[in-house]
Amino acid sequence: MSEQSRNPPSADRAWRIWASAAAAAVLFLGVVLGVLIIPVIQGRGAGLNAYTSICRSLGILPGSPAQRQPPTVTPAAPVSQVVWTPDVLQILARADTSKGRATVQDVCFACHGENGVAVSADYPNLNGQSGAALYKQLSDYRTGSRQHEQMSGIAQAIDESVLPDLAAYYAGQPKRRPALVSGPVAILRLIKLGDPNRNIPPCRACHRAEAGGPIETPTLNEQVHIYFVRQLQAFASGQRRNDVYGRMRLIAEQLSSAEIEGLARYYAAGQD
Amino acid sequence: MRNADRLCLVHLWVAFAAFAVAAALGTWQMWVRSPLGANTGTPGQYFIAVTAHGVSMAYVLSTFFIMGFGYFVATTSLGRPLPSAIWAWIGFFMGVIGVIMAIIPIFGGSASVLFTFYPPLTGSPFFYIGLVLVVVASWIWCVLMIFAMTGWKRENPGKPVPLAMFATVANAIMWIWTTAGVAVELLFQVIPASLGLVQTIDVGLSRTLFSWTLHAIVYFWLIPAYIAFYTMAPRAAGGRLYSDAMGRLTFILFLIYSLPVGMHHLMMDPEHGNGTKFIQMFLTVFVTVPTLLTIFTITASFEIAGRLRGGRGVFGWIYALPWDRPMVLATGLAFVMLGFGGFGGIVNNGYGMNAMVHNTSWVTAHFHLIFGGSVVIMYFAIAYEIWPALTRREHPSLAPLRLQLWLWFIGMMIMTLPWHWLGLQGQWRRVANFNYNDPIISGWGPWVIASFVGGLVLLASAVLLIRNLVVLHRSERRFVPHPIYTLAIHPVRSVPAALNGFGIWNALLVVLMIASYALPIGQFFVAPSPGAMVHRLMDTAQ
Repeated sequence: MSEQSRNPPSADRAWRIWASAAAAAVLFLGVVLGVLIIPVIQGRGAGLNAYTSICRSLGILPGSPAQRQPPTVTPAAPVSQVVWTPDVLQILARADTSKGRATVQDVCFACHGENGVAVSADYPNLNGQSGAALYKQLSDYRTGSRQHEQMSGIAQAIDESVLPDLAAYYAGQPKRRPALVSGPVAILRLIKLGDPNRNIPPCRACHRAEAGGPIETPTLNEQVHIYFVRQLQAFASGQRRNDVYGRMRLIAEQLSSAEIEGLARYYAAGQD
Repeated sequence: MRNADRLCLVHLWVAFAAFAVAAALGTWQMWVRSPLGANTGTPGQYFIAVTAHGVSMAYVLSTFFIMGFGYFVATTSLGRPLPSAIWAWIGFFMGVIGVIMAIIPIFGGSASVLFTFYPPLTGSPFFYIGLVLVVVASWIWCVLMIFAMTGWKRENPGKPVPLAMFATVANAIMWIWTTAGVAVELLFQVIPASLGLVQTIDVGLSRTLFSWTLHAIVYFWLIPAYIAFYTMAPRAAGGRLYSDAMGRLTFILFLIYSLPVGMHHLMMDPEHGNGTKFIQMFLTVFVTVPTLLTIFTITASFEIAGRLRGGRGVFGWIYALPWDRPMVLATGLAFVMLGFGGFGGIVNNGYGMNAMVHNTSWVTAHFHLIFGGSVVIMYFAIAYEIWPALTRREHPSLAPLRLQLWLWFIGMMIMTLPWHWLGLQGQWRRVANFNYNDPIISGWGPWVIASFVGGLVLLASAVLLIRNLVVLHRSERRFVPHPIYTLAIHPVRSVPAALNGFGIWNALLVVLMIASYALPIGQFFVAPSPGAMVHRLMDTAQ
């Protein structure tokens, strides 16, 4: 008897049929239970008709077959109206710095200087700042998400279409000093490691160029000392609240005055 | 040394070199997460370490080991040369280049996206392209394994393919199926994003595609361990395999039920309906069947061996087994870990219980116990078993081998059991540190320290493994040739075609995959969801 004749084709056919039948039965049972029986019973408890329940179980309609959708949804009030979409990024990428320069020479230079270096310690430096950060802050001033006695009115007076150009112009202005490398140990630790015991993430997790933080994160190096202190105090008190998810408010309210002072000094010196 | 032996050895050495580095990184991670090392290093450094650990263990150790072992099985069980040694070497070097391409950005801090990627996070394109090269290299292996089997079948019509080779080809076919998901995700979504060609990613789709890969990849890692259970352990114990057909059925069931089940990794994701999740959860239950078949068959095989060695009574045969042999010892220890890990896996598969353990340390502990424990300890046993045949040298002594296996088992249990417990208490995963000043979290401290101690024991075991292999290379004891593979109690002269090939099973798999994934994937094209902004992660090293 040859080796093959021990398993005639009929035996193989039986294997194929039974294997297919077993797999089909398992699949059928899964589908019947998962898409018909369970959702219909769950839907009945939630006051949904069978059709809605089945569509929900398949993901064709939103929601769970086991629960009614809440009748009304109260939209959360956003802290900023800026939405980062590919379109907005395209607009920023195509910004016209010559238009931005014209507006700067017309309006902004009086406080922020033509090259972004503030004319007095009361105003922030804008040279080399992130374009996305500048765009967001200008937009927030326009919409009222951030308020300042001078900037709110100025931002509203500027044509909205020029905001990306302005942001791009200042973003393109060079920083003045090379980065330094030293600072008090406690401050360096806060910047590099944060303080897990207070749930404070490292500043560098977001505020370093290309760190991978939220797109609107500003760079902090070479920022004016007193401006830096005032902003952290404003976040801590809740006076400034245009930070998405309250990230900076959560952090700033936990920083001591000495830490704010140390950070301001560190960043004013030029590190990032 | 023969070319095929050299080919196997270089694969295995790359695998274990990556393993040794990853073991050291893993121990460091356990330390910095514990109260003892809290706040050491930056979070950026932690995620570099986690990414390197995951990539090394999940992609380099597993893929290179499986390729090397596959070449060994193909040449020894079939008794014929590989279909193409040149292509095998091309695959090896392509894989090595891929690993180097991936490792440089990882340690440069520009690819800290963990081994599971998590788009819309995107790192350096070199990282992803390197991993694609590793996958392509493994596809070369898959094709060689399939050709090796079909070539042998042509020369031996009607004869059953040796079980070890049948299982290896089952794994190769499963791997081709498995990698399709991640390959599509990387090539069409993640790599274009990392190159800056697109600005948004449909995260729901990418997660669904990765789920296609994510569960079956675990079985790709696991099957070599099962090959050892079925084809090496019974012989090492001095017995015979209880049922060859049961082995074939097991590997077939792994092939068809490991793939259409990946969505149980997405139970808490919002982009899929409950019904589609249920179908895959239901199919996942059937993955337990081959594991239970295996536990039965191997235990029965061991009982035969124990009784042949004079064991009497209900449990007497267990004491009579030759536990001093590494393969037998490793199988016993792997079964204990498989027991704990398997039950944990059943918890993960229950929708309600999954909701409790989702994103907690329970899950991390589970896959360390199953893969790092049951599977990797069998990698060690396989290495100890086949290394003498590859080098033509014998281990000078088996005692350090047993010590290494025991250390791995003890370390893995000490590390993962408290880790499971922490998960039940809600300890979250994928974080660099914990605030031990928090009154709730402070209670976790002792358990995390216990886990770290387990990590230290594991590191000691990893070092001992390398030492044992180096000692073998220098050993002066000549290899005494002996059979490696187990014979079945009832000699297998012929099997139905369905148990000697994969045609019918591939056809069934197509049906199951369409039933499981057509709607979940199709929905993203019928009604595209808003894309998530690509979040480019260029440098976390500082």
